Parts: sequence; structure tokens; C-alpha cells
Amino acid sequence: MSKKVITREEWEKKLNDVKIRKEDMNKLVMNFLVTEGYVDAAEKFRMESGTEPDIDLATITDRMAVKKAVQCGNVEDAIEKVNDLNPEILDTNPQLFFHLQQQRLIELIRNGKVEEALEFAQEELAPRGEENQSFLEELERTVALLAFEDVSNCPVGDLLDISQRLKTASEVNAAILTSQSHEKDPKLPSLLKMLLWAQNQLDEKAAYPRINDLATATLEDPAI
Amino acid sequence: MPTTTASAVCTTVGNNILLRLTSGERDVKLKALRELKNQIIGNRTKKLSFLKLGAVPAVAGILSDAVSAVDVADNDENDRIVKDIIVQSAAVLGSFACGFEAGVRAVLDAGADILIQRGCLVEEMPLLKSYMEVVDAGARSLKMIYQSKMAPKYDFLQEENMEFLLSLLNNESENVSGLGASIISHSCKTSLEQKLLFDAGVLKRLTSLLGGSLIQRDASLESIATIFKNNPEVVSQFVGPDTGRTLSCIIEIVKDRFARTRLLASLCLIVIRNASPCYLQDVGIKTKLINNLLELLDDPGRVGDEASFAFSSLIAEKEDMQKLAFEVNGVDKLYNHLQKGSLHPRRFEGILLALADMCSKLECCRSRCLSLQVLKLVVDALAHDSSDVRSAACMCLRSVSRSIKNLSAGSFMNETIVIPLVRLLDDTSTAVQVAALGAISNIVVDFTTRRSTFIRLGGVKLLVQLSKSMDSTIRLNALRALRNLIFLAEDKCKEEIFMELTASLLASLICDPEPSVQEQALALVRNLVDGRINSVEYIFAEDGIILDAVGRQLRIASKAEIEIQGMYVLGNVATGKESHKEAVMDQLLLRAENKAQSCIIKFLQSNDSRLRTAAVWAVLNLTCSSSPGSSGRLVKLHDAGIVSHVKNMVNDPCLDVKLRVKTALEQFNSFDDSLASTSCLQFLTVRAVGELSHVVDPSSKIPCDSISNSCYVYVTDFCVIYSHVANSINSQCL
Repeated sequence: MSKKVITREEWEKKLNDVKIRKEDMNKLVMNFLVTEGYVDAAEKFRMESGTEPDIDLATITDRMAVKKAVQCGNVEDAIEKVNDLNPEILDTNPQLFFHLQQQRLIELIRNGKVEEALEFAQEELAPRGEENQSFLEELERTVALLAFEDVSNCPVGDLLDISQRLKTASEVNAAILTSQSHEKDPKLPSLLKMLLWAQNQLDEKAAYPRINDLATATLEDPAI
Repeated sequence: MPTTTASAVCTTVGNNILLRLTSGERDVKLKALRELKNQIIGNRTKKLSFLKLGAVPAVAGILSDAVSAVDVADNDENDRIVKDIIVQSAAVLGSFACGFEAGVRAVLDAGADILIQRGCLVEEMPLLKSYMEVVDAGARSLKMIYQSKMAPKYDFLQEENMEFLLSLLNNESENVSGLGASIISHSCKTSLEQKLLFDAGVLKRLTSLLGGSLIQRDASLESIATIFKNNPEVVSQFVGPDTGRTLSCIIEIVKDRFARTRLLASLCLIVIRNASPCYLQDVGIKTKLINNLLELLDDPGRVGDEASFAFSSLIAEKEDMQKLAFEVNGVDKLYNHLQKGSLHPRRFEGILLALADMCSKLECCRSRCLSLQVLKLVVDALAHDSSDVRSAACMCLRSVSRSIKNLSAGSFMNETIVIPLVRLLDDTSTAVQVAALGAISNIVVDFTTRRSTFIRLGGVKLLVQLSKSMDSTIRLNALRALRNLIFLAEDKCKEEIFMELTASLLASLICDPEPSVQEQALALVRNLVDGRINSVEYIFAEDGIILDAVGRQLRIASKAEIEIQGMYVLGNVATGKESHKEAVMDQLLLRAENKAQSCIIKFLQSNDSRLRTAAVWAVLNLTCSSSPGSSGRLVKLHDAGIVSHVKNMVNDPCLDVKLRVKTALEQFNSFDDSLASTSCLQFLTVRAVGELSHVVDPSSKIPCDSISNSCYVYVTDFCVIYSHVANSINSQCL
């Protein structure tokens, strides 16, 4: 079945015909900056574009302090800050609380404090594991770190990665946003996903200039 | 349980903190409070250990002191520390109350709820810097307390309480208005309270909160649903210019991006729909709600768990909703979720109940279930750890087994289903037993000869045992199952069941203190004696105690259902031999104390057509033409005034009754010669004697007209008179 061919000229004309307001684009950018927690950038952007953020920028500072603490491995500090911000969050989010405690354990192991780590696991984490089967499994994985001499190459070595910290940090960030009635994900990535989906749908029916590289967003001519 | 080593460590740390709490220095106190807070938040085990060390009264004491200290505070620095202490102690107490029953109890015992209210939320407090922090902390903690089942009952009837509640709702702070909404959601239980709240105008504020933040919206939806739940009066007063707006607002929120909000909005609409038949009835909104809830099942968390319960409340008892749900593949979607396996018990229970509701009235749903092999999963659920799941599985089975087509095909009477079901008759939970009995009641209505499977697996023994239970609900349901089991059963089957039951048990159940149990017992006996003539013999076992019991109940009963079953018992017995019929006559003609007439006359005059039908059937069976003793019985019935009552029913509005009466009257007629003749003879004899004094020409023959006209009689031969008059009267009677 032959597909309809759309030339670059036609395509660009179609693109230009779609009117998008500058205000809406600004809102998207501000939403991204605010959700991800780039306070200074958000402040500057507000001054330059006049776009109002949908969150009080002051609360972003608190949230970013928490996120940063986790990213640096200061989990105890992060917990204290979250509890200062809103004591309900950790009390009503058992999964998040467990992950934070788990991160604490990982940091203790990373710093070679084996005895302390074992004590901590037994006192703080074991009871959580008893309450919930999936927690128990994750706990076992974490404690397994202690069994290996060469931690960086063991099967559970990914727990020591910086990515694990980022994952936990992201989880806390999302929980704080939700407690503030804000959406935990910025809109921009979802829009990009929709773009890719729309292109895939169109691919079945037509050949047209596609965006293949999201970073540059250049149109590439259709192969004829 | 934490090990001894761990708890020992904990205690040392704990004691240290508690010690510092008692310090005279505010700084030390504050630091200890923060540490305590950070230890317990999210950590149930720590909450328990600190509870045991007496932390709650200690912190409550600190809060109380701090609140009093506020008046005396004289500089900024002190202000700040006192405020911080209030905030931290409120947070600690709130955390103890969070989802932890022992904690809530301790907090309430220490009077902390009142302390927090007075300390943080009352307006007379002098203005501290960042007062909002204190208010927020207090509001948060109180909300935790009020979310618990053990929350103190909020007395809406007290005017000052209502005022306080309104002030909470009108407050700008999300936490404070959220507290107000939370109090409504958790404390408003009676219709009087609902009306009070409605009249106080809270709905206006709640509606405006619908446009607020996510938290405000969710809290408001829950409160609105609470105010309207099961209260048609309040819903009907919901008319006005604001109604349409509020409703359409909630309908919009059904499409919200947050799953929990969508669920709460749906629940709110369902509550309004169920309370009042005039709102939300168009097909569009119905379909939207159904689709929304089916979609919410996809949510992996608690929202998904609760969605199925919401779905049940939407479709239960409503055939139109069930049909709509079926049309959008509701059964398939529910089944897909069931298939996923290792479901959380709450979710499992919810989906099973949803399927039970889907199949409660519609054969198409049941067929679909059976073709999808849902039964296999349901049967597995019968052995689940959770009693709620077991119960739900039984209810699902009960609904599906309403399918007559499949019952006749014997689809349910096989060991894979019967064995686990029978096992549940012995379950530790009463609710499960009752649910199992419900399913069994349907399954034993087997039109094939496979009842023996059930009997062989010990089902009857258990049912009989349960019919002796102390719990009347269990007795009732066990009897219902037995009644269905015995329906159209073969002789051998009946015998086995009767031997297990015994006549004395049956007689005592007929006289059970609970009327509903009496009814089922009588229905059971009705099915027992139905069928072949030798079945009737059962009722005469042990010197006829069962028949006596039936007769007794009929004379004293006041509930139509009992009278109906009892009459059918007698009606069935009256199809037996002569001696059986006579026994029924004895029962009928026996009068109750203070009653001038037989109970059957009351039944014949009843407003309930079912009862009139049953009564006429009995009369029919007693006077059937083929039985030799029927004419004698007819006379007795006539003398008791029963026959004339039946004759008066010739134009009964109920067709069933009318047809039976017609048959009865035809039967009466076949005996009418003797009857009419006898009375006519008596009449004529009197007239003849009177007339004989006027002698007429003996050779003149004067035709006889109908009885109502005066008759001229032959003077000569009395016998000739009799036969002539009798014949002519016969030809004119109805």
C-alpha cells in the first residue's frame, strides 16, 4: 500500500498554521522548572517572561533542600527536613519511608560501618519487612551487599550506584509535590512522549519530514 | 516482633529522649521533641515502644504548659521557642494518632484532642509570629485523630460545636478547612446530623472548595457524599439555583487526572443517585460512571481496591445498570482483573462482590461468567485465608447459580464445587457460613438426580446441625437450603433427609421463636409432603406432632408468609388418603381460643391473593369428587360457613383465585343434589304444611317456578312432591 507523501514545503506550512500562544509555552517551561526544583532559574524566568509560577517559590526551596540531602547521601537530614515541612508525608507513605530507610542502610554500608548497618537493619528495617512482603524482598537484597567483598561487582551492586540515590530523591520530591496538591511530573516530558507517539501513528499512513533527534528537533526529509 | 537486643537499644535511646523532655530548659525540651518526632514518624514499632515508656502523657503535659506559657511570653525569642514547642508537640501527638489504634487511644486518654483544639485553633490566642504554623500543626494532628475509628464523636447538635466547625471550613488554610471536612466525613452518621449540616449551609462552602486545591477537592467530595448518603430528604432539598452547578461541577471532576479524585467524585454521584430517583438518570451519566469505575480498577493501589466496591454500590439491585455494564464488557473486564492472581484480599473481595452483583439478575452475565471459566477462580477463592474473600466467593457462586439453565444441566452439582462449599459450613466465621448456605440453597435445586452427591459428602448432616444453631440467621438459611434440597426429591432422598432431621426437630422449628424460621420450616414440610402419597405419611410421624404443630401455627400466626406455607402444607396433605383428608379437616375445624370461626375463613378473606389461593386449594383438595368421603366433608365445611365464603369469591380480582374457586364450585355442584335437595326439602315441607290448609283441585298441575317464587304443590303424595320439585330445582340451579 502506498503512503501519502508530504513534502517539506507542505509540512512546514502545516506546522506554521498551528497557532500556539507564547504564554502557554512559557507556562510549560515554568511548570518544568518549578516541578524539577530549579528555583533560581524559575525566579529569573519569572522576571524575564512575566510568567507566574503555579507554586510558591519559597516552598520549592524547602523541597530542593530535601532532594539535595538525599542526592548527597545525607538521608537522616533529609528525613528531618521532610518532617519539618509536613509530618504527614512519611507517616502516610510507607513505601517512601521504607526506601528512605533503605537508602540510609546503603549509605552505612558504603561507608564501611558494618556493625552499625546490621544494627540499623535489625532495628529499623526488619519490622517493616515483617509488615510487607515486597519490603522484605528489597531488604534482603540490600542486606546481601554485606555478604560480598567486592561490592561494586556483585549482583546487587546497582544499589550502591548514584542512580539509586537519584531514584530515592525523585520519590521524595514526588511525594512532597503531591502533598502540596501539585502534580508530581512536569508536563513537558509527557508532551514529548505524545509527539513520538503521534509520529509513529502517522508513519503508518504517510511519509513526511520527521523529528528524529529530540535534542535538536530538526526535520529530516522523508526517504523516498 | 523486634528481637530483645533491638528493643533494648531502643529503650536506652527512648529513655534518654524522655529524660530530656522533662528538662527545665526549653531548648533541651524542644530538641528532644524534634528527635522524638523524627523517631516515630512512619515507624510503627517505635511508636509502640515510646507509647509503653509513657511518651504521650509527657508530651501532652508539655503542650499544655506551652499553651499557658504563651500569655506570659514577653519577647520574640521566647515567643519563637514556645511556638516551636507547641508545633512540635502537636506533630508528635498527631503522629502517634496516625493509623495506630493504641496511639489514638493514648492520645485521647491524655485529653490531647481538646488541648490541641484549644491551643492551636481557638481564635482568642494572642497573635504570635507565624501563627499559621501553629494552626496548621494543630489542624493536621486533629485530622489524624478524627480519621481514626476511635475518634471522639463530634456533637453536631451543640451550637458552639457547629459554629466551630463552620469557622474551620471557612478558614483559608488548606489544613484547617481539611480538618473541618474530615470531621464531617468521619463523625456525621445519623440523618438528623446530615440535616443539621445541610441546614447550616455547609454545602455552599464545600462546593467552593471543589474548586480549590487537590486536597481541598478530595476532602470536600468525601464530605458531600457523607451528607447525602442514604438521605432522600436532604437530597430532595438540594434543589435550587446552586444544584445544577454543584452537580455539573462534580460530574466534571469525574474526569480529573488524579485517580483518587475520580473515585471520590464517582462515589459522590453514586450516593446522590442512590438516595434520589430524580437525579443523574440519563444514559450518558450512567455509562460515564460505569466506564470510569471499570477503568479505575486498573489503578494498582488502594484506589483500585476500592473501585470495585464503588462499582457494586452503583449497580446493586439495579437491572438497568447491570445491563449497561454488561454491554461495555463489564464481566470480561472484571474477569481479567481476577485472573491477575495474588491479589490483595480487599481487591479480591471487591471484584468477587462486583461479579456477584453483575450476575444477580441477568442470565447473560451468568452465561458469560460460566463461559469465561470464572467458576474455577471462584472455587479457589472459597479456600482463601481471608474470611471476607471466602464470603464474597460464596455470594458470587450464589448469583451465578441462579441460572436455571445451568442448574438443570447439573453444572454446579459436582465435587469440585460441593466439597469446598460444604467445608465452609463449618467455617469459623458466621458470615461465611451464612454466605455458604446461600450458595448451597441454590445449588441443591437440582433437576437431575445428583442430589445424592451432596448427601454423600455429608451435606445434609451439616445442614441439620446448622438448623439447630443458636444464631437465627444460620437456622433460617440452613432451613432454606434443606427446603430447596428436598424440592422434588426422590423418595429415597427424602427418606435420608427426614431421618436426619427427625419429626421432633421439624415440629420444634415450626414453632421457632423467629417468624422467618417458622416460615422456612413450614415451606420445608410443604416440599416434604409434596409428591407421592407415601410422602404425606411423614407428617404423621411420631403421633402426628408435625401436623399438630402446623395446625397450631396456623391458628396463632399473623404473618401472611407463614399462613401461606401452612395452608399449602395442609393442601398437600389433603391430596392423600381418606384418613389424611380427615386429619386435615380436624385441624381446620379446630378453633383457636377466642375465635368464633375456623382460621381458614380469615385466610379466604385476606387481602393477600397468595393466601386466598392457598386456602382455596385446600378446600378443593378436601372436596374432590373422586373421594368417597368428600360429600361428608363438604357438609362439615358448609356448616362451618366455609363453603359460602368460597362461593362469595366467584368474582375474585385475582385470576388464580378465581379459577380455583370456579373449580371448587363445580365440585360443590356435583354434590349439590343432596345439598340443595335437603335444604329445599326443608323449605318446601314448611310451605307444604302451610299450603295444605288451602286445598286446591288435585288434578290441576301447576308448574314450579324458581325457589324464590311461591310454589304450588301437589297435595297428594309427599314423595312425588319431593322428586318433582327436586328435579325442577336442579335444572335451574347454577
